[in-house]
Amino acid sequence: MADATRKRSLAIWIGLLLTVLGTLSNGLPFIGFPAAPVPWISLLVSLIGFVVVLVGLWRTFGQSTVYKGKVSGSIAAAFSLLFLAGAIVFFWTARHIPAESATAPQLGQRAPDFTLPDSTGHSVSLMQLFSDSAGKEPHKALLLVFYRGYW
Amino acid sequence: MAISVDAPDVSENLRRQRGYTFLFLSDPKADVIRRYELLHARGGPEGTDISRPAEFLIDRSGTVRWENFTEDIRVRPRADELLAAAHAIR
Repeated sequence: MADATRKRSLAIWIGLLLTVLGTLSNGLPFIGFPAAPVPWISLLVSLIGFVVVLVGLWRTFGQSTVYKGKVSGSIAAAFSLLFLAGAIVFFWTARHIPAESATAPQLGQRAPDFTLPDSTGHSVSLMQLFSDSAGKEPHKALLLVFYRGYW
Repeated sequence: MAISVDAPDVSENLRRQRGYTFLFLSDPKADVIRRYELLHARGGPEGTDISRPAEFLIDRSGTVRWENFTEDIRVRPRADELLAAAHAIR
């Protein structure tokens, strides 16, 4: 059959786009996007994308009278697999926090007091923050945010 | 207040850049991070020891009233959860 009447399988390209978007969406939390549900959604989108690619590829090879683009389709599928692999690797490494924190301060327990330098080099003690307030109303509570650091 | 292994000048740059008004404390040897059992050994760039992300809300007596440890570095607590806990403190 003439090439002009055969069409390209759109599914392959939509699938590839989904896999790429799913994988890239793993970066959203790093640009300030609220992250709670994202890890699963990212992985799921990449996975769905890859399945769509496979369906498209299966059609292209199975119905070659209707579809063309076996070579480009195969290359797209390979890229899709690569992005899916990246999504899976990122999913597991981001989850992997080896610290157990079994003896970390628990609800209702006392948080250990400490003294550390602030960003201008002045010593700050945790419990002092509740008493020294330089004429202002003393703090009712403090939020300690331990973070990975900035790099 | 925010606590990390970053040096004071690194935190001061970050604070100014983003316009944060809360305190940044430096724990370069991770002593306090260890005392709170939050060390993520070799978790930082070039295999340095860092803190895992964790948050504690403490009241005037030093008692922990709310806390959060994440299993996934992309998943952070939601502000509404924290604010509810903060409002419960009188």
